[in-house]
Amino acid sequence: MTETMVRLEAVEKSYGAVHALAPTSLEIARGEFLTLLGPSGSGKTTILNLISGSVAATGGKIWIGGRDVTHLPSNRRELGMVFQNYALMPHMSVFENIGFPLRVRQYSEAEIRKKVHEVLEVIRLEGYANRKPKELSGGQQQRVAIARCLVYNPDLILMDEPLGALDKKLRDQLQLEIRRIHRTLGVTLLYVTHDQSEALVLSDRICLMNSGKVEQIGTPDELYFRPRTVFAADFLGDSNILDVSVVSNGKQAKLTTRSGFQIEGVQTSLSAPVAKVMIRPESLIVAEDGNKEPNTLTGLVEDITLAGGVVDIQVRLDNAETINVRRLTTRDFRATERGRPITLRVQPSDVVVLE
Amino acid sequence: MAAMGKRTLKRPSLAEHWFPALGIVAAIFGYVFLVLPSLIVIPMSFGTGSELVFPPRSYSLELYRQYFQESTWMAVTGQSVKVGLATMAVSLVFGFSAAYGISRTNFRGKGLLTVFLLSPMFMPHIAMALAMYLYLSRLGLVGTTFGLVAAHTLVTVPFVIVTAFAGLRYVDRNLELAAATMGAGRLRIIWKVVLPLIVPSIIVASLFAFLLSFDEVVISYFISSVQSETLPVKMYSSIHWEISPVLAAISSLLTVLSFGACVAMSLLQRNDQ
Amino acid sequence: MIAFIVPLAVFFAVFFVLPLALVVLASLFDPVLTGSNYQELFTSPLYLRVLRSTLEISGLSTVATLLIAYPVAYHLYKQPPRRRTLLMTLVLLPFWTSILVKSFAFTVLLGQDGIINNIARALFGQDTALKLLFNRPGVIIGMAHYLLPFMIFAILTSLLAQNRDLRRAAEVMGAGRLKIFRSITLPLSMPGIVAGCLICLVLSLGMFVTPALLGGPKDMMLANLVEMHVRQTLDWGLAAALTVLLIIMTGALSAIISHVRGGGLGSHG
Repeated sequence: MTETMVRLEAVEKSYGAVHALAPTSLEIARGEFLTLLGPSGSGKTTILNLISGSVAATGGKIWIGGRDVTHLPSNRRELGMVFQNYALMPHMSVFENIGFPLRVRQYSEAEIRKKVHEVLEVIRLEGYANRKPKELSGGQQQRVAIARCLVYNPDLILMDEPLGALDKKLRDQLQLEIRRIHRTLGVTLLYVTHDQSEALVLSDRICLMNSGKVEQIGTPDELYFRPRTVFAADFLGDSNILDVSVVSNGKQAKLTTRSGFQIEGVQTSLSAPVAKVMIRPESLIVAEDGNKEPNTLTGLVEDITLAGGVVDIQVRLDNAETINVRRLTTRDFRATERGRPITLRVQPSDVVVLE
Repeated sequence: MAAMGKRTLKRPSLAEHWFPALGIVAAIFGYVFLVLPSLIVIPMSFGTGSELVFPPRSYSLELYRQYFQESTWMAVTGQSVKVGLATMAVSLVFGFSAAYGISRTNFRGKGLLTVFLLSPMFMPHIAMALAMYLYLSRLGLVGTTFGLVAAHTLVTVPFVIVTAFAGLRYVDRNLELAAATMGAGRLRIIWKVVLPLIVPSIIVASLFAFLLSFDEVVISYFISSVQSETLPVKMYSSIHWEISPVLAAISSLLTVLSFGACVAMSLLQRNDQ
Repeated sequence: MIAFIVPLAVFFAVFFVLPLALVVLASLFDPVLTGSNYQELFTSPLYLRVLRSTLEISGLSTVATLLIAYPVAYHLYKQPPRRRTLLMTLVLLPFWTSILVKSFAFTVLLGQDGIINNIARALFGQDTALKLLFNRPGVIIGMAHYLLPFMIFAILTSLLAQNRDLRRAAEVMGAGRLKIFRSITLPLSMPGIVAGCLICLVLSLGMFVTPALLGGPKDMMLANLVEMHVRQTLDWGLAAALTVLLIIMTGALSAIISHVRGGGLGSHG
């Protein structure tokens, strides 16, 4: 799994004075599922376009499958691509659509028939070979588009927000389908999305993009539990971000929140006198009483809402900061009334100091 | 799937290789063909006197002088401008009011009526020429400016309606509703709300109507007399019977006019959207 | 609201319906109630010949127009929007140019001492003399030039309506430009080609000026025959019958066009 399939070397793209992508280096291993995640305009689509060859880089080098493809046109790069709007040829049947890349590669009719039927089986659309794309549902169309990539076994499959046009239920279904295909076939996948939960579910690694730069790259766990920046903490999952002053730093740092609460035993190498920390709402524990030991916060319940399987509690800390707490829903959750004092406890390992 | 084996791309074929270049050569041929006639007349118009050759042997303003000094050419040009302006005015009023009425009401047969009002657009000019000729001769109106304006209006009004529809589509009907709830009458709403918003389409439609009338030849050829002859009719006979070099000067002036019109149109239509 | 439509409706009744009714009447009653005008249209060798050359010239001009228009439309489609707008002027200029200016220019261009013949002489020797004027080629060149903008608009519209990701998808899958053109762009532009050809047929069937000025006696079309009857033989009945025939043919084609385009209106639109 350590063989590199795609390598970007200080690749950049600018339009005049506008930097769409700052010099970026990135590697994707063979068989890896890498997701480019970020808001629109963050540069994720630019990276995709640079790799696909529809946009020329203004600097740097791109390697795919060991070849320098920086100056090769799209059609010489041995790629596959799945589009948000499916991009199936409307005048061709499912069979012809999937057979198209094989025809380009001059496979024989018999080979084409065999391969198309094999791949139709993989995506579970065996009976649909003669349908036109128009006669399929959105989810089926996207599965055909995926099959069209699988059939010729390209070095890398690009997926540009492939689930963006589908409704929630189909999206979930197809997510699992994509995950299954990736695991069973071991294809290398570069996936672009702005949906953080999609990225968390699917990816081996996530590359979080922000204003034309890589913000942080790592496994979903790393990004969720150890975000390095406020942007990363904010973009993935829900988070409480608090201003703190650093009383002592080192392996066992001591921090004070603006509301005057002490947090001890936090790991940080930061030496600034003030910092921001992130605490996930679900890592705050509602404690029984109001004692004043370290790593305890007290305040008043400001609001409480039922959000399905979880309950969100908004707490106003003693000195006017608000913090969100998330608990699993229990039948008696209404016992936590608005205006009541509440005590919260946090594990020092759940407190992440941000850059 | 890896067991299926993999075939990489072949080098592009020769046809692949030459296709883009051939496409561009064919397109350039098309562009040259498109503009050649319009452009050829300009150098020719600066030639001298009596012969039509390209390139001219020497250059002068002789042909322009001939055009501007000969009273018959001036008379037919004047007539064309007169008919064009009158046609423009009549078709603007009729066309815009009809388009407004149609776009703001619903009634049975509305679609049919619209198709009917636009149908002259699809009708060969020769058909309208004969129809008008037969009709006007019964009324004793062949050779009158009135007849010309009526016939030209028939030609131009569908284009005015189409332009008006396009403009009116961008007028939010809630604006009219809002004005009505504030107590404005229908005419005040049109004057204060609708018209200011469709100024660009009015200009486009005016240009359209004027140029269509100014260039119209077949109908005019049938229903004009020596006294009411328009510029295209005289040009037609002049090309038909004896190609006079002065045509080069007139053609150049008309080309400049069309160029101006097409620049104006594209500017206006861009602002419109 | 209806009041806004009334003036134009009255105008149409007086200057459109009545005149056309008069044509129909003339075709049937001139000189006396008779079907002979129509009968003559379909039996007399003269009319059959003119009808045939009308269809031939229209068909050939439409094909020639399509062949010249497609590369131009395709080229325009591939340009970035700003350059496309600029190049469109080259298409719009002839669109707005009077047909008389064009006809005049072609009489100079195509004549014995015209540019085309001068170039041909320079290339192929002094004896070369291409006959391009007052004959079939002359009419077709002139008609194609008149029809080109309409065809280009129709094809360009259908090209621009194509989903651009289809090209990208095909490209990523390894298809070259010719392959993309043949298997995607061209088949998907068929509706534009069909619409363009129908529009050109409608426009060319009723053509009068071009065959009159650039054609010879054998290139007479229906419209020219109508004129001949009105101006020379004064046979209004036959002229009217010819016109009715022409209206029926172009009307039927126009109906197909608006059907094909889903109610889209107007060749100039």
